[in-house]
Amino acid sequence: MAGQTDMELIKDGVRLDGRKADELREVKIVAGVLDNANGSCYLEWGNNKVYAGVFGPMECHPRHKQKADRAIVQARYTMAPFSVNDRKRPGYDRRSSEISYIVSQAFEKVVMVEEFPKASIRVDMQVVEAHAGTRCAALTAASVALADAGIPMRDMIPSCASGKVNDVVVLDLNKEEDNYGQADLPLAIIPSTGEVVLLQLDGHLTPDEFEQALDLATSGCMDLYKKMRLALENRYGGSA
Amino acid sequence: MGKESSDKSDSVSSRKLVLPGDLLETKSKPGHGIFRRDGRVHASVLGYSSDQSGYMNVNAITGRSYTPKVGDKIVAICVETAPSVWRMDIGASFNSTLHHSESGWKVPFGDTARFLAIGDAIWAEVFMVDAAGSHQISLKKDDCRKLYSGTIVKIGPTNVPRVIGKQGSMITAIREKTQTRILIGQNGHIWIDGKGNDIATAQKAIEMIDNEANSKGLTKKIEKLLEK
Repeated sequence: MAGQTDMELIKDGVRLDGRKADELREVKIVAGVLDNANGSCYLEWGNNKVYAGVFGPMECHPRHKQKADRAIVQARYTMAPFSVNDRKRPGYDRRSSEISYIVSQAFEKVVMVEEFPKASIRVDMQVVEAHAGTRCAALTAASVALADAGIPMRDMIPSCASGKVNDVVVLDLNKEEDNYGQADLPLAIIPSTGEVVLLQLDGHLTPDEFEQALDLATSGCMDLYKKMRLALENRYGGSA
Repeated sequence: MGKESSDKSDSVSSRKLVLPGDLLETKSKPGHGIFRRDGRVHASVLGYSSDQSGYMNVNAITGRSYTPKVGDKIVAICVETAPSVWRMDIGASFNSTLHHSESGWKVPFGDTARFLAIGDAIWAEVFMVDAAGSHQISLKKDDCRKLYSGTIVKIGPTNVPRVIGKQGSMITAIREKTQTRILIGQNGHIWIDGKGNDIATAQKAIEMIDNEANSKGLTKKIEKLLEK
């Protein structure tokens, strides 16, 4: 956001990577890739590459974070030092703690936390390659990993961003569009009810554009949801 | 092992894979693996739905964590001793408690480790689960006892019915072919005792079932493995 460029991000309705305004990047999802996690997922989304692993439910540490009547979801989002062009200093920072927090909040809405009092469900997300939209990619991967771990939940949550580039509302920003675009709106929904569990906005949108962006991101989420289902059906053999 | 004949989760031919949140069309009562929203039944876990004897269930096929149920026979491993209780690992999210009064031994206060030390295994029954999620196990039921020698294999609790097989066919085959004694805990901990090589073969077979629990023709593969 807010960067300046001479690049023409959209020309005749076609974007830099050849997509139309309402097209997602290519998504590949594989469930159950990590041996030592209870459930896991590997996701490629355009040039993004993310691993997610789920551990627990297990006893919650530190103890003061325990809830007597329900479990908490402890999500942890980390970016590998080699995931971006300039080496990222490893470890926790403001951005990753923010993302970890909002992802935890999103999952506590769908996971049946009341079934595991005092427990903690750990969701680890590792971004191996970042190319804009990693929080959505990480959340999506973590959803599949949670289902793969057999954790009871009300639904899986797909997550997808929309935004504004050259005054056009587009779906799923890529790196250039994210850096030089005018707005970025990551969204996560519960597909069966349409409830919103994550919504952020960076940049400026008029009320009309906001509605348009929200609709676009919602349809993107629904597309993605089909791919998540397919990944799990592939792993578990579909209807037998 | 009274559980063997009652496991019927994969005897249904029309089973259908459902994912969390999927709507289940049914007039049956809600069973396990489901939740209700606006009076309709949805799946809460990934698994196969079954609409049997008036209940709608979803049998989970993934997950490494065991949810204790009263009456389950399990294999538990001691992880901690306290003056009057043992803390036992049963593969659930929390360790289970074995109180000395449920052990069947006359334990002097503070002398628990003499009867059951860290690392020792027992064949026990879950006898209490409370709403706060804590649970206790007992050694005073039926054939419950301390387990000497042998080895313990840990598999996913959801794959236990596959290891047992229809009417216990799979486990009977493994027992007979390998000449081992096997106890299958509902928690996915399996105790095997016998000669060294036999244990290894049985262990290999059980691990194979765990890894390929959702594939077809598993019985044949296991038979082939046991023939070697």
